[in-house]
Amino acid sequence: FKAHDFKTCSQAGFCRRGRALSSRAKEAKSSWKSPYSLDAFSINIASDQSTFTAGVKSSLYPEINFGLELRIHDDGVVRVRMDEVGGLRKRYDEAASWALIAEPTISRDIKWTTGKRDIRAVYGSKKDIEVIVAFEPLRISLSRNGKEQIVLNGQGLLHMEHFRNKATPTEEAAPKEGEIAEGEAQVVMKADNPRAWFEGDKEDDWWEESFSSWTDSKPKGPESLSLDINFPNHGTVYGIPQHATRLALPTTAGDSPTFTDPYRLYNADVFEYLASSPVSLYGSIPLMHAHSVDSTVAIFDAVASETWIDVSHSSEKSTETHWISESGILDLFLLPGPTPEDVFRQYAKLTGSAVLPAQWSLGYHQCRWNYISSDDVRTVQKRFDEEDMPVDVFWLDIEYSADHKYFIWNDKTFPDPVDMVNDVAAIGRKMVVIVDPHLKRTSDYPVYKEASELGVLVKTKDGEGEYEGWCWSGSSSWIDFFNPQAWDWWKRIFKPYTVEGGWSWTQSTNAVHIWNDMNEPSVFNGPEITMPKDNVHYGGWEHRDIHNINGMLYSNLTSQAVSARSDPPMRPFVLTRAFYAGSQRFGAMWTGDNLGTWEHMAVGVKMVLANSIAGMSFSGSDVGGFFGNPETEMLVRWYQVGAFAPFFRAHAHIDTKRREPFLLDQPYKGMIRDILRLRYSLLPVWYTAFRETSVTGLPVLRPHYVVFPKDKNGFDIDDQYFIGSSGLLVKPVTEKGQTEANVYLPEDEVYYDYFTHHAYRGAAKGKTITVPAALHQIPLFVRGGSIVPTRERPRRSSTLMKNDPFTLRVALSKAGTARGELYLDDGESYSHQQGQFIWREFVAEKEGTKKSKALKISSRDLAAEKPNDAVDGVALKSFNPSNEYAKSIAHVRLEKIVLVGLGSKPSSVKVEGGEELVWEYTPGVSASEKKEGTPSLLTIKDPRVLVTKDWAIVVQ
Amino acid sequence: TTDKLYGVHPNLISKYVPSKSGLWKCLDGSKAIPWKFVNDDSCDCPDGSDEPGTSACSNSTFYCWNEGHVGAIIPSSRVRDGLCEPQCCDGSDELPGVCPNVCKELGESYRKKLAEDRKLQKTGSKIRSTYIAFAHKERKRLEGVVETLSQEIDVKEKEVERLRDIAERTESISQTALEHKQKSPLYQSLITHHNALKSLQREHKKHLEREKALGNILDALRTGYNPNYQDMAVLEAVRGWEELAGLSHIGATEEVKEGEIEEKVEAVEATEDLEPGTWTAEQLNDELDALLEADHVSLLLEHEEHIQSPAEGSILYDLTLYLPDSILPHYESFKDTLASWLHTLGIIRGDLDSAAADSSRAHQALTDAETELDRVKNERTTAEGDIAEIFNIHGFGADGEWKKLDGTCLEKEVGDYTYEVCLFNEAKQKPNHGGQTFSLGKYDSWNPSPDVKPGEPEYYRKQVYKHGARCWNGPERSVVLLLTCGIENAILTVEELEKCEYQLTGTTPALCLPLDGGKENSREEL
Repeated sequence: FKAHDFKTCSQAGFCRRGRALSSRAKEAKSSWKSPYSLDAFSINIASDQSTFTAGVKSSLYPEINFGLELRIHDDGVVRVRMDEVGGLRKRYDEAASWALIAEPTISRDIKWTTGKRDIRAVYGSKKDIEVIVAFEPLRISLSRNGKEQIVLNGQGLLHMEHFRNKATPTEEAAPKEGEIAEGEAQVVMKADNPRAWFEGDKEDDWWEESFSSWTDSKPKGPESLSLDINFPNHGTVYGIPQHATRLALPTTAGDSPTFTDPYRLYNADVFEYLASSPVSLYGSIPLMHAHSVDSTVAIFDAVASETWIDVSHSSEKSTETHWISESGILDLFLLPGPTPEDVFRQYAKLTGSAVLPAQWSLGYHQCRWNYISSDDVRTVQKRFDEEDMPVDVFWLDIEYSADHKYFIWNDKTFPDPVDMVNDVAAIGRKMVVIVDPHLKRTSDYPVYKEASELGVLVKTKDGEGEYEGWCWSGSSSWIDFFNPQAWDWWKRIFKPYTVEGGWSWTQSTNAVHIWNDMNEPSVFNGPEITMPKDNVHYGGWEHRDIHNINGMLYSNLTSQAVSARSDPPMRPFVLTRAFYAGSQRFGAMWTGDNLGTWEHMAVGVKMVLANSIAGMSFSGSDVGGFFGNPETEMLVRWYQVGAFAPFFRAHAHIDTKRREPFLLDQPYKGMIRDILRLRYSLLPVWYTAFRETSVTGLPVLRPHYVVFPKDKNGFDIDDQYFIGSSGLLVKPVTEKGQTEANVYLPEDEVYYDYFTHHAYRGAAKGKTITVPAALHQIPLFVRGGSIVPTRERPRRSSTLMKNDPFTLRVALSKAGTARGELYLDDGESYSHQQGQFIWREFVAEKEGTKKSKALKISSRDLAAEKPNDAVDGVALKSFNPSNEYAKSIAHVRLEKIVLVGLGSKPSSVKVEGGEELVWEYTPGVSASEKKEGTPSLLTIKDPRVLVTKDWAIVVQ
Repeated sequence: TTDKLYGVHPNLISKYVPSKSGLWKCLDGSKAIPWKFVNDDSCDCPDGSDEPGTSACSNSTFYCWNEGHVGAIIPSSRVRDGLCEPQCCDGSDELPGVCPNVCKELGESYRKKLAEDRKLQKTGSKIRSTYIAFAHKERKRLEGVVETLSQEIDVKEKEVERLRDIAERTESISQTALEHKQKSPLYQSLITHHNALKSLQREHKKHLEREKALGNILDALRTGYNPNYQDMAVLEAVRGWEELAGLSHIGATEEVKEGEIEEKVEAVEATEDLEPGTWTAEQLNDELDALLEADHVSLLLEHEEHIQSPAEGSILYDLTLYLPDSILPHYESFKDTLASWLHTLGIIRGDLDSAAADSSRAHQALTDAETELDRVKNERTTAEGDIAEIFNIHGFGADGEWKKLDGTCLEKEVGDYTYEVCLFNEAKQKPNHGGQTFSLGKYDSWNPSPDVKPGEPEYYRKQVYKHGARCWNGPERSVVLLLTCGIENAILTVEELEKCEYQLTGTTPALCLPLDGGKENSREEL
């Protein structure tokens, strides 16, 4: 980590000003009063009552006008917008338009009541939510049942720096040449400045700002936005990825804070980042969950400029946060919850849910910087096949390209790219090839040439010439995807066939998918390894205004282009390093260039969880660590971590030794093969979990507070988690030399070891158990009451599993029941949106006849029951169980059922209305007992029931 | 339902028979299952043996008969996966009708290929037998060399004996006198200077080596770094070095012209002003060693001669040069007596000094003769070692077939570089358009894998070259050379699979073993 490459808060003018404001307020204590107030006479309630607007004034600048707008959406989300009205310039107000999937629907059931001191509205199905906007000082709060959930400007730190003209230094002698920067940045105001109590007594970095050897010309002057957001009744906050830290955010302010700097959101390419730090990383999602045993709420701050966030707790039960952004309007969404599920649904409704990925992309990805030739790729594939290790995707990093001109193959090392891709695709696999947003500035590069001619490159600060910076390809320019003219052009570039009117990637096929790296953007010779903030984008906006959105736009357009290259369009896979709120709609992300250390392995798990709760479920960290040569034990553990991350990719830096799993000695090679096969056997679980995520917004990886929001013991747990609603609980081992692991069981329920079926018991108040965790063992549990569908036949790639039968693990709860789900479609096309899929529910329940106690395991058609909830964004009126896809897998059956925790040996096991099945019973602990140990097992051989059909098996 | 014998290996067919009671025992004996469970697409045996024809057991294998070609075993994971396995040309790994039977064509081309391979091997083995003949000839030649050297050694050993005899006798006279002279302050000071100079030279050499190593590292950095990488510190280091060493600025398109570097360096040195009498760097380099090798005892004696009149006594020593060997012992004993007489009579002055000078010269003659003897002995040891190496399984192979290739250099041009491997010597990377040549490593060993036994054919299919020039931020360069039988000695491919580790493939007749008549027949049967 090169600390000197990146700013601390004190090195960023606006952050320094924001924190100074906060410390002045703290010193002033109760005498502090926000200068901002709402002008009651200006309140204008919309005719449909849902929205009101009002003027806001600051007592410091009575001549400046601000406008406030409050809207309440039909799901109870409150949107607070504030902007300067009639100012010298316009603040950037388009962040939300990139983040949101659609203009939210305004509620029809709101009635605003204007009083003397405030305006308020009560709403919600139980009329339990109240929004109050106090006039003087301006204070906005959201309460539930009279308890304040979210409070804005409660500490009086709201400050929207209005646009102003730079004072001409007439009174003072003109500063000498060379002193200008210093002089201008630090003009000392007159001592009797009446605003010094609030704004400070200096024009601190208002008009120009230097960092290291760079100078930001700041042509618009100061325009930052400071706001305190308090959660008076929530003691834990999560979110605002991406930072390498714990899931429950450690403090940055208050008494003895964990970190001394605020959390920073400013997409950055941080070389060898620290494993515990609030510094900004590659992506930014300004979403924060606030949680307590009573409720979960969240705020989403639709701001795209550099933002710093302080977190502190004035008591164990409350949280204070302070948000300081460099530019843009205030556009804040208050998500009232009150459960984690509600918060996820509310956030997904705003920014969209994670897209249902192509099924193959949930398989194993093998990457390295770099596979050096097409023959190298073929050899690696051959070695995987020789060892019978499943893999779905081979990746090519930047060295495939000639002089880092992306799309253009190095014809010396990759003379036959299409043949190579076809050789990989012949085993049902894909390739992912990197395409970065910097274009080598050379006229023999058609992509640059066309972009330059189209005028869709980012411009320098004068808004005229192409911005030139340094990246992999040397002297480069960057595509400006804010320019709509770039969109169709970019789609054309990806066509794998000749297109009239310009260049297209003919040396490619539909089996090639894309990796978008360096899209923060990374600029090697730029300030903080990125673009100068005064660069100009489409519409005249400065780079500072849109920085955190920039990377998302790139992967957005790339995923559209990859999808649109074929007819009919197919699901694209695009991996991005930079991301923003909404990026979940476009593909997967990874945690960037991690180090091959145990600390990075451990924090990677937490970072993936933090991304998951902020919408980016499809995420993972580089298995093995990008930098360094992991020892064998570490590598095996890292595969265990990776196999339980939604995005599972091994990657390595160019300077590292090769470490493909087939290179290891036994027994480690065998261990990793087992891990890979485990991942593949669980693909039905992952895919089913992704369907749920794509519809509900609930994350694929679920930390404890999400599943057990009322269990206080679980609020800080971020090293074990559940996979979707499957009932699988995993605790990856991320420490050296472990042979045991402690696992927290949050409820009075039986949990079975996934591999041995050993039954463990939790407790109502939570209980920590110790389980074996030698190198070949993964602490993986099935929560009692779950039915887990798997495909146990090893294949070389996921697409070759299409016709394989399923196995069901029925893990009975202490109440003697269980349920599970299975979602399947063709995994590649969009035909699921036309009803081409199956969505089944498996239920094990006691049969209610008095004469005989029986357990019935049945398969039901969830799709027919809830056609509307099956596919994200598609309202299916009905579902046809014999759709084309279902027909194509009509022969796919169950080959085995393992029923765990039955009370006694059954007398008969039959398919309802059929013959006796072949089964085997080993006695053991029953789910309903209190005992731990080996449970009873009933193994039913090949019931030959079909996965697309309704059926029932009766265990008498 | 699947045929019970489907996918069963021919050697195991006899075991796939049900018992009288209709049961069948898993091959590992762990379990008895109903015969109908065999190949029922549901795994029952822990060893997977009940499902030879399906993919139900992950740990089982499938046999395809491939009539018209050769049979093959594939893992069960490839059975019924929708892909036609190339190994199963009869298509039996998939459901009927999915895969065409291409065994006839495949078998034909396979046999053709076999024949071609055999032909190649045959030609190659002929060349190989010339290599073996060469090794035998080489051994003979070396044995001759050893013979000659041994004779020479005998002669030289006698000469050394004789000179040692003389030296010992002269020494006994002179020792005391010499010790006395060596106490001279001038001599002592000279020795101190000598030691100091020697130490300085040692340190100087260390620094020179260090400077050279640093220069090499920086040169490698300058030519080898990727200007596109993110590291501005590297860029600064390169610029700094260019300035210091007076090198031109390397750009993406520029090329360094050879000679340019040296010229610049010389130019820098020429401007240095030297104090009169002091040495130039070149002199330091060339003449210091000679100075340090000076025999101070001889100098001490010469010095005595300078400040005194010449000593006639030395004639006694000189006389020996003219006497026949047979008389020498008599003369020596006589000389001692004679000398003491002459001294007592005052005829010889400074006799002790001259005796010391005699001693020194005699010693020098002995040392010279011993050095010469050692040289010849070394030569013989080398020749003997070479003989031992020729037919050594760790060296040039049991048949000596590799001796012929010792030092043979093979080249392959790939992209901007030509790769050269001088077998059993060194591998190099030479730029085609100017720049620095890097050593990729010196010959280290045959296949070092513990799984491969020295002497096996597999052992000679891999050579390892290690400890080449170090990469600026990576390991020392190294090479793995993978060889197969071919009629030419050639490098076919060069790949840098990971940083600074090169994998080369090539062919050589040395690996073409003669065809075995018996085996030939059995192959044709396939």
